[in-house]
Amino acid sequence: MAENRIRVDARGIACPGPITELVKAYRNAKNGDIIEVLATDPGFKPDVEAWIKRTGNQLLELKEEGGIYIAVIKVTAKK
Amino acid sequence: MATKKRVVVIGGGAGGALLANNLPLEEFDVTVIDRSPYHYYWPWLLYVAFKGSKRPMKKEIRELLKPGVSFIQAGAQSVDLNNRKVVLENGKTLEYDYLVIATGSRPTYSQIGGHKKVVERYGDYHSSEENARRVWNAINSLKQGTFAVIVGGDPYRCPPSPLEGVFLAEEFFRARGLRDKVKIVFAVPYPRPYPAEPMNEVVEPILRERGIEYITFFTLDRIDEEKKVAVSMEGEELKYDVLVVIPPHVGTDMKIAPEDVLTQDRFIQADKYTNNIKGFDDAFVIGDASAVPVAKTGVTAHLQAGVVARRLQGEDARNSGRTNCPFDLGYGLGTFVISDYNNPVVKLPPSRFSHLAKIAFAASYWDMIRYPELWNPIFEAYFEATEPAKLGRIYV
Repeated sequence: MAENRIRVDARGIACPGPITELVKAYRNAKNGDIIEVLATDPGFKPDVEAWIKRTGNQLLELKEEGGIYIAVIKVTAKK
Repeated sequence: MATKKRVVVIGGGAGGALLANNLPLEEFDVTVIDRSPYHYYWPWLLYVAFKGSKRPMKKEIRELLKPGVSFIQAGAQSVDLNNRKVVLENGKTLEYDYLVIATGSRPTYSQIGGHKKVVERYGDYHSSEENARRVWNAINSLKQGTFAVIVGGDPYRCPPSPLEGVFLAEEFFRARGLRDKVKIVFAVPYPRPYPAEPMNEVVEPILRERGIEYITFFTLDRIDEEKKVAVSMEGEELKYDVLVVIPPHVGTDMKIAPEDVLTQDRFIQADKYTNNIKGFDDAFVIGDASAVPVAKTGVTAHLQAGVVARRLQGEDARNSGRTNCPFDLGYGLGTFVISDYNNPVVKLPPSRFSHLAKIAFAASYWDMIRYPELWNPIFEAYFEATEPAKLGRIYV
């Protein structure tokens, strides 16, 4: 099965927050899909870390480049 | 005499009606089309659902538009941006010089298993008066057990609305003397009850104080109404007796060419400063119908309508991304969610004043739509005095 890559651009979103964009993409994703989120809100980093910890999905990469946060997530926890 | 520019506005809600009423008719030939004859003041669904309000919450679009603005009651079936044409559901075709799409967003019940059944049973307060009335009936019939509100998915209209319902429900059950028999549970897919951290710092202590339980990271997958249990995508279960789900919303159901202006959930991509639909300088999208990164709320539609009206008149007006969402905290208290593109949400403390401002706004709503020339200076003064950059220095 080909891996599906979903790109979420949440740059510039402060209210209600980039985490809501991640959740939206997660709803439509299947186990095995990759979600890549771009965000500028500094609150995004702890949020995505907490989200990974609680939902049990896999964080492949989380980095900051010139004020832009990039999170690469593999969806694995759906039942 | 120069010929007037033809402006077609699809949608007669807050954004569409305000835009039409802001355009000078000596310069523009303005036509508003809408599938419905009515303009709804959607925020009032909250008070139908949790206060049993019977105050009328709709008016005829025709009555709200300035004399001289044309209104056609017909849905738009398709929009051809390349050829500047709108085909109506009644078969007629309209040609335009400028197009403004203001079709809003609508709840969808197909993403969550068992959602429809739950709405038929307990209603919700993001779709219709009938469904809001069902919520009122459901909370009135609950004498003991669990009342649950679950944020079903994003986006939805009005970011504060899920918690507003929770706070008003808590006040309702306490006033009925049932608070020790009715447990209130609020579940969200986010890391905290309110997604934006500064506002969460205002509301989370209130939830604790009032004994309202909340569950974070709960991404609703399906609901089993027979067993009265809601299940998350990771298999976590939440038992309820009455359940209200905040429905995820989707964008327009019109056909649009080219199709690549639409996102996957049918919101229209646009420049966040000018509202120009991606790739088109003669077509705009305002309010909830757009995919610009700002909350789906009336104030956004209102401000964007002003910006687009000024742009059509040749001004280089730009959006600041300002939000100003009234937030009812129950017991006569309120706050506002205030932010813009450059400033995070302000930690505005609860006050009676903020609640009264929300109610005063609701009381004046129809007048604001009808007479923007009177209200624009009032709003300008208000927005200037409450800029998030200024408030952010006061409320830290």
